[in-house]
Amino acid sequence: MYAFKSFRARLVTLFGGLLLVSLSAVFLAVGRASVGNARRVIVADLAEDAAVFRRLFSERTNHLLEAARLLSGDYAFKEAYWTQDEMTILSLMENHLARIGDADLMLLVSLDGEVIADTEKPGGGGRQDNPWPELLAAAEQDEWGEAAAVVLHGGRPLQLMVVPLLTPDLEAWILIGFLLDDPYAEDLSGLLLSEVSILRRDPAGRIATLASTRPAAGRAAVAETLGGGLPEPGVPRTLSLGGERWVAAAVPLSEGSAEGEVAVLLQRSLAEELAPYAPLRTTLAVLFFASLAVSAVGAVAVARSVTRPVLTLAERARRIEKGEYEQRIELSRRDEIGELAGSFNEMARGLAEKERVRALLGKVVSPAIAEELLSKEIELGGEERVVTVLFSDVRNFTTLCEGRSPREILELLNLYLTRVSAIVEEHGGVVDKYIGDAVMALFGAPLADPDDAGRAVATGLGMRDVLRELNAEFEKRGLPRLGIGVGVNTDMVVAGNMGSETRLNYTVIGDGVNLASRLEGLTKRYGLEVIVSGSTRDAAPGFVFRELDRVRVKGKAEAVRIYEPVGREGEVGEDAMAELARFETARRLLLGRQFQAARDAFATGEELAGGPKLWRLYRERAEGFLARPPGEGWDGTVEFSQK
Amino acid sequence: MSDRRRCLAGALVAAVSATSAAAASLEVRLVDGRGQPVDGAVVVARGVGAPPPPPAEMAVMDQVEEQFVPELLTVPVGTTVNFPNRDDIRHHVYSFSEAKQFELPLYKGEPAEPVRFEKPGPVVLGCNIHDHMRGYIFVAGSPHYAVSGEDGRVELGDLPPGDYEVEAWHPRQKGESARGTAVVADGGAAGLDLELDLKPALRLRRGGARGRKY
Repeated sequence: MYAFKSFRARLVTLFGGLLLVSLSAVFLAVGRASVGNARRVIVADLAEDAAVFRRLFSERTNHLLEAARLLSGDYAFKEAYWTQDEMTILSLMENHLARIGDADLMLLVSLDGEVIADTEKPGGGGRQDNPWPELLAAAEQDEWGEAAAVVLHGGRPLQLMVVPLLTPDLEAWILIGFLLDDPYAEDLSGLLLSEVSILRRDPAGRIATLASTRPAAGRAAVAETLGGGLPEPGVPRTLSLGGERWVAAAVPLSEGSAEGEVAVLLQRSLAEELAPYAPLRTTLAVLFFASLAVSAVGAVAVARSVTRPVLTLAERARRIEKGEYEQRIELSRRDEIGELAGSFNEMARGLAEKERVRALLGKVVSPAIAEELLSKEIELGGEERVVTVLFSDVRNFTTLCEGRSPREILELLNLYLTRVSAIVEEHGGVVDKYIGDAVMALFGAPLADPDDAGRAVATGLGMRDVLRELNAEFEKRGLPRLGIGVGVNTDMVVAGNMGSETRLNYTVIGDGVNLASRLEGLTKRYGLEVIVSGSTRDAAPGFVFRELDRVRVKGKAEAVRIYEPVGREGEVGEDAMAELARFETARRLLLGRQFQAARDAFATGEELAGGPKLWRLYRERAEGFLARPPGEGWDGTVEFSQK
Repeated sequence: MSDRRRCLAGALVAAVSATSAAAASLEVRLVDGRGQPVDGAVVVARGVGAPPPPPAEMAVMDQVEEQFVPELLTVPVGTTVNFPNRDDIRHHVYSFSEAKQFELPLYKGEPAEPVRFEKPGPVVLGCNIHDHMRGYIFVAGSPHYAVSGEDGRVELGDLPPGDYEVEAWHPRQKGESARGTAVVADGGAAGLDLELDLKPALRLRRGGARGRKY
C-alpha cells in the first residue's frame, strides 16, 4: 500500500477520492436514470407507433381490397375475361393498374391455379406456376372469397390482395400486389416519427433489410445488429447502429413460410430522446470539477491547520526529549488540536515536575534509591538480603560547634557530609541517611555487587583519608581538627520501604545494622578510625587487616571478631607491616596467658609506635591480667556493656 | 325455393313419362369431393341415339326484389325464356356462358324479346348493375332431368329402357359437368354414383344491406 509522506497529500487524496466516488455515483445514477427514462419513453412511443402502424396497415389493406373489389366488379373486365384472349385481358389489367395508381402487379389465376394473365410476364398465360397457392387457398376459405397477405416476390415484400372474379359466378382469382418499398417506408415514417425498416428473416435465420428509411449504407447494419433474431413483438430491443443507440420494436407482417417471414422494424434514436438531458450532464460535469477544486483547496487548508500545530508539537516533543521542559505551546484554538496542545503542555509540566522530583529525590535519597523508588510501584515491605552497612561519625563535633553560629555549623557539616557522601557514591555505595553528623551507608541494597564488602572497606579507608585532607584545610582556617569513626558490618538484613503508607523510607533494618553502629562506637575505645566485623573482613579479600579482638557488644549474645583495615594489600608500607606483626605476636602472648611477656611486648611496641592508644590499651589490659588473672574459662572475649 | 324448383322439374318428368309406354327408373346419387351429398344439382339422362326433346312452351325467369326467380330454371333445349322485370328499377341481365351469351341492356317490365336457348348446358345469369343477383338456367338436351334433394339423390322414373348418358351439374360446378353412363332395363331400376367438383360458395355483396365491414 502506498505510504503518504505528508498528511496534506493524504487528506487531498482522501477528499478527492471520496468526492470522485460520490460524484461518479451521482453521475452514473443520473446517466442510468436518464437513459432508463429515455428508453421507457421510446418504448412507450414505439408501442404506440406499433399500434398506429397496425391500424394504418389494416386500413391500407382494406383500402387496397376495396380497390381490387371495384376492379373485379367492373363489367368491362368481365366481358374482357370472357373473350379468353390473354393479351386483351392483360391490356385491361394494365389499364386497371393505372387506375389504382400505386399497385405494382396484377395476376388473373384460374380456379385450378393456372395463371391466365400476369402483368409482370406478358404472354406467359397458361402456366401452372401460381406462386401463392396458400393465399388462394385462404381466399377459397373466405366467405367473400377474399384474402390479403404480405408475401415475398422476387425477394421484395409485396402486399398481395386476392378478390374473386364473379361473372356473376366465381370464375377466377384476381391478384393485385403492392410493393412495400422505400417510398412506402418513408411515407410510414412521416406518420409514425419512427424510422421504418422492412426486414426479411429467411428460414436459416438470416435477416435482410428489404426497404428502409435508413440511408443505403446503414441498411446492412440494421440487419447485422439484429443478428439472428427480430425483437419479439411488444418487446423492444436496444440496437447499436453506426455508433448510435436505437430502440427498436418489430411488427410481424407475415407468417413464416418457406421464403421466410417479413416484419416491420420501428426504431427511434436514444440519442435524440436523451438530447434534453445533455445540459444536465454538462451542469453535473461543471459541478463535479468545481467541487473537486473546492475540496482540494479545502483539504489543503484543513491539512495546514492540522499539520502546523502538529509540527509545532513534534518540535516541542523533541525539545522535551532533550530535557527542555520550560517552553509552552500557545495555540488559540478550542478544537481537538487545541485540546492536544493543552494536554501536551500539561504533560510537559508533569514531566518537568517529575524530573524535579527525581532530582530532588536524588538529593534527599541517594540516586540509586531514587531510581529504585521511581522504577517500581512503591509499597511497604522488604526483602532479606546480604548488605554491608557502614556507619561513620565525627568526633569532637561538639567542640567544633562551641561558639559558632548555627549557619556556620551547618556550612561545615555540609562541607564534611558532601565529601563523605561523594566517597560513598564513588565506591558504589548508597547514603541511606544522615543522622546529624553521622552517615549511614549501604552496600548491596538496593543493588547488589559481589564486591560490596570490599567497597565498604575501601569507603571506610577513603573517609579516613578525606578527613585528613579536610583537617588540613581546617587547620588553615584555624578550625579545630576533626576525628572520625567508621564501623562496617556485613550481614543478612531486611531491605525495603519502611514507615507509613503516606511517608516511608527506603532503608535496611536488622541486628547487622546495629552491630555496624556498635563497631563505629568501638573505634573511640580502640583509638582507631575504622573497625570492621569478621564477616566483612571475610567478604573483602585484598585488604590488610589487623585482628583486634573477640568482642561481645551490648544486646548481642554472640561474640564477634573485629578488625582494623590498614590498607590494600601491597600498599601497606614495611614499617606498618612490621608493626602489625609485632602487635599480632604480643596479642598471641596475651591470649596464651603469658601476661608478663605480653605486657612487655605491648610496652615495647607502644614505645616503637610512638605511644598510640591501641598499644597502650593492650599494655594496660596485660597489666590488668597480671594483677588479676582471668578465670579458667577465659577465651579472650571482651565484654562491652555500653553502647 | 328449391321446393318450387323441384315441383317444376317433377311436372316436366311427369309430362315425359306420360308419353312413354314401358317405364324404368334410374337413381343417381351425387356427392362432392368430400363425399357429402350434393343438394340442388341438375341431373340429365339422355338416351343414346334418342332424338332431342321437344321444346317446352315459354318459360319465365322473373326478377323480383333484385333476385332471379327461380334461382335455377331447367328447360329442354330450344325453349324460349322470358325475363320479366317485376321491380320498379331497371335491370341489365347478361350471361357470358358458353351455352348462351346474351345481354338484355337496362330495361323495365317485359324485355323487347324473350331469349331462346338452343344449346344444352348451363347458363349463368347476372345483372350488370346488381352484383348480388345471380340465376341459373340449365338447358337440358333430354326430357329426363331432375334436381337432387338434400340427400343428394335424384330419381328419374319412366325411362324407356336403353343406354343413357348421365350428366350432373350444380350451380357451383367447377369446370365441366360430371358425366356417367347407365343402362336401364325394361321395368328395372338402375343406379349411378357421380362425384361433383364444386367451387367455394361465396357470398355476394348486396347494395343497401351493408356488406362485410373491414
